[in-house]
Amino acid sequence: MFSKLFPEHLPSTWRLGLLLAVLMACSTALCITVAGWAMKQNLSSIARAVVLDDLGEYAVLYNRNGLKEIKDVFAAGGHENDQAVRITSSDGRVLFEQIPPAVAGYQWPDASSARLKPSETLLITVEHTQREQQLLAGCQVLDDGNILWFGRTDAEDRAYVEHIRDDLWLAGLASTAFMLLPLWWFVRHVLRPVQDMMKSTHKLAEGNTDARLVAPDAVPELQAFASAFNAGLDRIDALTTELQSANDNLAHELRTPLARIRGNLEIHHDHSENAVARDAAARGMEEIDRAADLVQTILTTRAGEHKALKLHLESIDLRELLTDLHDLYKAAADERGLQFTLEAANSRLAPLDRQRINQAVANLLDNAFAYTPHGGVVTLELSTTDDHTRILVRDTGPGLSATDLTKIWQRFTRGSAASANTPGMGLGLSLVRAIATAHGGQTGCRNRDEGGAEFWIDLPAGDLLNAQTPSSHPAPFARA
Amino acid sequence: MHILLVEDDTELARQTDIWLREAGHTCSWCERGGQALMALGKEAFDAVILDVGLPDVDGFTVVEQMRARGFRLPVLFLTARDNVTDRVRGLKAGGDDYVTKPFAMEELLARLEALQRRSGITPLVPPSRNVGKWTLDAIKRRLRCGDEMVELQPREWTLLEVMLANEGRILTKKFLLEKVWDIQFDPGTNVVDAMICRLRRKIDAPGEPSHLQTVRGKGYVLQALS
Repeated sequence: MFSKLFPEHLPSTWRLGLLLAVLMACSTALCITVAGWAMKQNLSSIARAVVLDDLGEYAVLYNRNGLKEIKDVFAAGGHENDQAVRITSSDGRVLFEQIPPAVAGYQWPDASSARLKPSETLLITVEHTQREQQLLAGCQVLDDGNILWFGRTDAEDRAYVEHIRDDLWLAGLASTAFMLLPLWWFVRHVLRPVQDMMKSTHKLAEGNTDARLVAPDAVPELQAFASAFNAGLDRIDALTTELQSANDNLAHELRTPLARIRGNLEIHHDHSENAVARDAAARGMEEIDRAADLVQTILTTRAGEHKALKLHLESIDLRELLTDLHDLYKAAADERGLQFTLEAANSRLAPLDRQRINQAVANLLDNAFAYTPHGGVVTLELSTTDDHTRILVRDTGPGLSATDLTKIWQRFTRGSAASANTPGMGLGLSLVRAIATAHGGQTGCRNRDEGGAEFWIDLPAGDLLNAQTPSSHPAPFARA
Repeated sequence: MHILLVEDDTELARQTDIWLREAGHTCSWCERGGQALMALGKEAFDAVILDVGLPDVDGFTVVEQMRARGFRLPVLFLTARDNVTDRVRGLKAGGDDYVTKPFAMEELLARLEALQRRSGITPLVPPSRNVGKWTLDAIKRRLRCGDEMVELQPREWTLLEVMLANEGRILTKKFLLEKVWDIQFDPGTNVVDAMICRLRRKIDAPGEPSHLQTVRGKGYVLQALS
């Protein structure tokens, strides 16, 4: 419910802090308002009682001993400066007036109009024209018909309320400071562990599969989350290791018998004078080499898809790598009557497995060469920006059908333009994708508006600080 | 050469033994890493062919122990695992070269002889610097015959050099890809074939048999003198 209160990127510490501060300010203000109101009520009833009381006392004194007594008492009392006494005749003439400066300036009411009976009292609140303070004035008709006035301003009450209000603000601030203790707790036991976990997951995303979530100071719920997450990671790690060793074993189990057969065929080939027999043996050897490559391709693809491909990362200049590949394929392009161009303006260093990336790009080139007719153009391009690296292979072949575009990267899928004469088993592109995935990259393809297809491999820009030369540290690059 | 062959697969060992003998070498065969280390103490060998997947200890460990005991002879790994990580591990353990199963015998021999030349066991015989009528000009990287001159591109030159260093031996596509282009897989396009053809057009005289022959199922061979 509070999510829309804050700017999108405001950290949760600030959110919680602001929320607590606002809540505390509101509750302090509420306290002060209520307390102030209640105090005012109490003080005004006390003030009325004081005025009535004093009025009564002065009336008794006057009635007993006349005006002189009042003068004496008032002079002897050294009265507070906020009280005033005056006596007027029944027609409003002032007979006696004792008004300190703090009480001066009030327009005393005219009691004659009230028609008070003897010993009856009247309380009137009088506003000052300039000051805030009010005067509470009481009057009583004396025995001789004159009127006794007693007035008292609320200056003292106001100062009192003001003082209490200051204290309440102070108390509010102090309790706000206490309320920030939960904020500290939140930062230490919730926010910081979450941030640590975030760092770990970033490491995981970068391919460091050894990274685990650690939260020693976290709240129990976060700890439970971390341990459940870690258990899942351990399980994935175990599966990956199993897949790797299964791959190694499978490769061994298949390659060794192939080697035996090939050896025997080679002996047969070398010792036979019969041209037909030699040719048969030669064809057999070619098939075995193809089968061995196929086994390797399937295993690499499988491992790549499951992120279990062992990569040997080195800091590689992609422009150099593509230049070498262009050089390798140039003669074959000439032979097929294809125009083969390289567009790579910038160098781009990135931590890559040279052989694998070579193989992935070579597979894209193999495809382009196989599907582009005589006289066509195949382009190999390296496009780099600050945060992305793309290797593109463009051809002027028949392009891709709608089904191709979605399914072409799957294993054993051949494009609709494939014919019985086009080599391959539909593994090439799935291998490209597997290698790209293992590098944290992606693959894509589209039909060009000018005709022909375009395939690409996107690679992460790469953190060169982490890309050390393998000669000094080969082991860390054997990543799972 | 007297070679120690460490291989647990009996059939492969038998074949390798035949080839080595045919090529004029002699060979002792062990099935286990432990035996191999003992054999090294008893006999003097010129090189070791070592399978990585042995039943007792793996090939990497055997090489490490060999090197620790001071044996400096060249070691060629034979393995069913084809990835750079294992290759690097093997070389780091102290191996000198690496052949993946299934392999061509000629490739094994070419690599063995290269190791031997490098380790200086047999004196380095400078390979012929002539192909047919051409004399190789190694500094300007071109072929010369009297006033006639043929420029070679860098990779063409490397290809010719590798083939000349193994003159008369059939070299597999895989071997050439690795030595000339540093590529450890076989691209689907006939890149090596196309390159050989281009080189052939540059060095062969018209109407005469080619110096660069293709041997079906096996590879390419250079005969410097036809």
